[in-house]
Amino acid sequence: MFDTVLIANRGEIAVRVIRTLRSLGVRSVAVFSDADAGARHVAEADVAVHIGPTPANQSYLNVRAVLDAAVRTRAQAVHPGYGFLSENAEFARACAAAGLVFIGPPVAAIEAMGDKIRAKATVSAAGVPVVPGGGEPGLSDERLAEIARDIGFPVLLKPSAGGGGKGMRLVEADAQLRDAITGARREARGSFGDDTLLVERFVTDPRHIEIQVLADQHGTVLHLGERECSLQRRHQKIIEEAPSPLLTPAQRAAMGAAAVEAARAVDYTGAGTVEFIVNGSSTKGTADDSALEYFFMEMNTRLQVEHPVTEMVTGLDLVELQLRVAAGEKLSLTQDDIAVDGHAVEARIYAEDPARGFLPTGGRVLSLREPSGPGIRVDSALRPALEVGGAYDPMLAKVIAHGPDRETALRRLDGALVDTSILGVPTNVAFLRALLRHPAVAAGDLDTGLVERSLDVLVDDVIPEPVYAVAALQRVLALEPAGPIVDPWDLPGGWRLGEPAWSTWRFELSGHEPVDVRVRGRAGAAEVTVGGGDPVACALRSDNGIAGPELVLSYRGATQRYNTAGTDGLRWLGRRGRSWALAETGRLAAARTSAGGALGGELRSPMPGTVLAVSVAEGDTVVAGQPLLVIEAMKMEHTIAAPTDGVVSALAVREGQQVAVDQALATVSPVQSNDTAPEAAGEKS
Amino acid sequence: MEAPPLTSAVDPASAAFERNAASHEKLVAELRDRLATARLGGPERARTRHTDRGKLLPRDRVDSLVDPSSPFLELSPLAASGMYGADGTDAPGAGIITGVGRVAGRECVIVANDATVKGGTYYPMTVKKHLRAQEVALHNHLPCIYLVDSGGAFLPEQDDVFPDREHFGRIFFNQATMSSRGIPQVAAVLGSCTAGGAYVPAMSDQAVIVRNQGTIFLGGPPLVKAATGEEVTAEELGGGDLHSRISGVTDHLADDDAHALQIVRSIVSTLGPRTPVPWEVAPAQQPAVDEKQLYGAVPTDSRTSYDVREVIARVVDGSVFAEFKAEYGPTLVTGFARIHGHPVGILANNGVLFSESAMKGAHFIELCDQRSIPLVYLQNITGFMVGREYEAGGIAKHGAKLVTATACARVPKFTVVIGGSFGAGNYAMCGRAYSPRFLWMWPNARISVMGGEQAATVLSMVRRSGDGTAPVPSDDEFKAGIRDQYEHQGNPYYSTARLWDDGVIDPADTRTVLGLALGAAANAPLEPVRYGVFRM
Repeated sequence: MFDTVLIANRGEIAVRVIRTLRSLGVRSVAVFSDADAGARHVAEADVAVHIGPTPANQSYLNVRAVLDAAVRTRAQAVHPGYGFLSENAEFARACAAAGLVFIGPPVAAIEAMGDKIRAKATVSAAGVPVVPGGGEPGLSDERLAEIARDIGFPVLLKPSAGGGGKGMRLVEADAQLRDAITGARREARGSFGDDTLLVERFVTDPRHIEIQVLADQHGTVLHLGERECSLQRRHQKIIEEAPSPLLTPAQRAAMGAAAVEAARAVDYTGAGTVEFIVNGSSTKGTADDSALEYFFMEMNTRLQVEHPVTEMVTGLDLVELQLRVAAGEKLSLTQDDIAVDGHAVEARIYAEDPARGFLPTGGRVLSLREPSGPGIRVDSALRPALEVGGAYDPMLAKVIAHGPDRETALRRLDGALVDTSILGVPTNVAFLRALLRHPAVAAGDLDTGLVERSLDVLVDDVIPEPVYAVAALQRVLALEPAGPIVDPWDLPGGWRLGEPAWSTWRFELSGHEPVDVRVRGRAGAAEVTVGGGDPVACALRSDNGIAGPELVLSYRGATQRYNTAGTDGLRWLGRRGRSWALAETGRLAAARTSAGGALGGELRSPMPGTVLAVSVAEGDTVVAGQPLLVIEAMKMEHTIAAPTDGVVSALAVREGQQVAVDQALATVSPVQSNDTAPEAAGEKS
Repeated sequence: MEAPPLTSAVDPASAAFERNAASHEKLVAELRDRLATARLGGPERARTRHTDRGKLLPRDRVDSLVDPSSPFLELSPLAASGMYGADGTDAPGAGIITGVGRVAGRECVIVANDATVKGGTYYPMTVKKHLRAQEVALHNHLPCIYLVDSGGAFLPEQDDVFPDREHFGRIFFNQATMSSRGIPQVAAVLGSCTAGGAYVPAMSDQAVIVRNQGTIFLGGPPLVKAATGEEVTAEELGGGDLHSRISGVTDHLADDDAHALQIVRSIVSTLGPRTPVPWEVAPAQQPAVDEKQLYGAVPTDSRTSYDVREVIARVVDGSVFAEFKAEYGPTLVTGFARIHGHPVGILANNGVLFSESAMKGAHFIELCDQRSIPLVYLQNITGFMVGREYEAGGIAKHGAKLVTATACARVPKFTVVIGGSFGAGNYAMCGRAYSPRFLWMWPNARISVMGGEQAATVLSMVRRSGDGTAPVPSDDEFKAGIRDQYEHQGNPYYSTARLWDDGVIDPADTRTVLGLALGAAANAPLEPVRYGVFRM
């Protein structure tokens, strides 16, 4: 076994690898960029080495910097995690050249599977079923289109060099094909430096089922059962489970055998995943196990994000096994030793806002509570005061629940998400909970389009009234004098001769209209009206909870507990996996109506990212809807368009610049008729 | 303060307790009703027109101006009730809201016109209420904030509004003289500010105006047209832009009410340092005796006697009362206590005033004055004892000592009329004429030169000792008429309508009201003491 292993990664996977290294008594070396100086993997590693500035291509993707760090810390092996350099054959080769063990498969296997077209040909030759399709480097757009037409719509365009679903495009009709090819090529070029595209048939009732394989350098190739990852959105997995609720033992064995064949076909070693697309309707109405249609999609030559569900049901530590295989040990397991115990489900917590089209969010973790309990595992990059920016993948943590059966596992996972509170960074936890409770999910009736089809019921952007009540009462509670009461002028409650006065507080949640909340009385015994509704008897007190301060609200006789954290003017409240950031606008300031009239507007960045393109200059006349700039975040492009006809009166950013969420980008001043414009402009005080 | 706490002798299970409580509850319910009606302001049509213009209602202006969820010690909210118009309801609150409120952490006097009441014009009682608020500011050294929205004098009553010493012009005299004493004067012009009213912002240290809403001019557009034929809009003649950009009458231009109030808060936050509190304030304690039993402990009929310590025990911190001369002149209870941490000397009636009680009171007032302890008078007095023996004993000169001591004490005085306020007892117990910083009445209080019954008897006797002609109304009818008149005019609502007091309060609010008032009064420095204590 190695003495020292460098983890060429960040985030939760780096933390998770460190955990196993520690359990094996192996010294761990973390690497980090400027943005990650305060990251959890840096804090938890035995040694941490700074390898460059924030952009990934100058740090985590910088082969030389990573190898330098390994050499300097006398690491003997490098664990690449997933993403970044994990499937980079050049990196694997460079490791070998530097005398380091790359913890992963041989370079040839990476290369064989890294080229999707070659991969398919290889496994197909080994007898593994593949989806009809085509594409190869150097094909013209027209030739690619012809192949697509031959296969028949719908088709999927995929970057040959890509992974994890990034840059894929679904084309349902010939008319969309040309634009889709152009866009997919651009995105592929930007993300992977290679614009080769694949085209293949799109399975209409698709389920994503993948087989975990494990091979040593001595000829043993095993499969550790399957994971079903059908709950995805835009090819990003959200919830994964093992085993799949679809498969029978015979089908599991058949697919497992196919995966083993695929691995053997490239002389695979270490842990890998063979992804299949399964036609969910192929077994409906039949008891014939062989009716199951499954096609090889790709093989991921690395550890998967969702590997914990396999670990939970098999009782194996995949990272440990990776290390042992890489160290040349012979696997002591046989296929018969692999038993699946119960059921495990994983949910991925992303810094993203489902209500804003799943745009990445960011912020500082102001308060954190992660779940624990029987069958609960948390793989997390989170720590209090962590700054979550837009430079890297927005996944923050994974919560995994294990139980004797699927229903128990799902319930435990939902319970664990209830106990998850991350204030300061908007996350998808509430969305995950809604998804777990979706009837089709409970029934195991999954397909990869389920999430997208169900977004309306899954994304609940209604702010419950008690949230506003808590926010206002918290302000009144904060007015309660500390120490011994000296001055009745210091007492809140709006005392008057006769009835006490209402105090009005105005709160605004991003994407919602401001709401006036009126409070009468003191926090311990108050009446509250939200947005002009009827008064409700409420009481609020503070309490010290497990993860810091909590607010306990009594609302219509029911008691609710909220986690709370706050910075100037922004109060975070969290309850049962949901969180809300309420900006308090001073009522007097908010009541101000702009005397200048409609002012077109300032355009702000919807998320943290990079300015990809600026297509206008200051002073340009633009029309409503005209694209002004393109922001890129997480390999997704977002076009910022003019809100109104007018003139670009300010342009605060340039191409290549990093921008924060809500950062001002540009201002479009509406064109006004000559007789009103100068006055309106001059009068703004 | 080191003294044993008072205890209560009342039996909450007794019939008297229940009777008293029910009676107080009824009176307080009436008070609440009256306050609720008055707080609405002018007729609904006027209020709708007001808000349709984007203006905040005056009470919302006050509530928005003061610190969130903070108290507002309103003055005479029932002023002018029953006085103007056919049914006496033309001027709720006299068309003006006044009181002490905390703005940006500082106690200020706020004067807000109610434009929904006859356009915010000044009735005689409006003037009186405005001047009284300024007096509160002067005595307690509190910054003044005027939220101006008024058409000036109510012309039909101009003879009782305009010419006299305590009439409209006094407002500006007060602004000038208060400013000269370092009491800040701030105005926000939120509506009309016509003719004499134009001087409110003009006489202020700093003034804010709302664009397209506030106007300041000596003569409005109709007057200008009549005088010179010039046609001009109100905004051109005296709007926010004109006064903020050209005339310089106002210093800050606001977009709307809320913006203006925000600017006023900002102005107050720039005021100079406050005067140090002239006495020592201790951590406050709730009374040890159950405050909630106040209603049951105190009879509402001033003719029923009870121990006033039952009231004191429910008003002072920890119910701790260090009584002075308990055995001497026992019809006046005197002693030291604290209310919301402020030290106070309490004088409370426990029966008619004798020479001894008067001298004891004078002695006690001198002690408090020496020690810079504010005085609280709990007034429930039918008067001084009468009769040959007492006149011979010099009760007139002994009573005069108490009146003199009350008049000359330099410490703040606070009076709560908790029962009767009759005759010279009113003077000795710091009635309105003795300029207590604040004076409130309980709903069961009565105020007149003598009781209705005595007045009826006296007047009946005077009438009979006259020319002896046959009485036209029977003696009973005559007496009933006198009694009715005294009952009507001695009623606290008659009093408060005329600003003989600063408001009728719920007895249960006494401790809060006194605490707020003490806090306000602590803003004014004390004059030095001129004499030693004269022992009586």
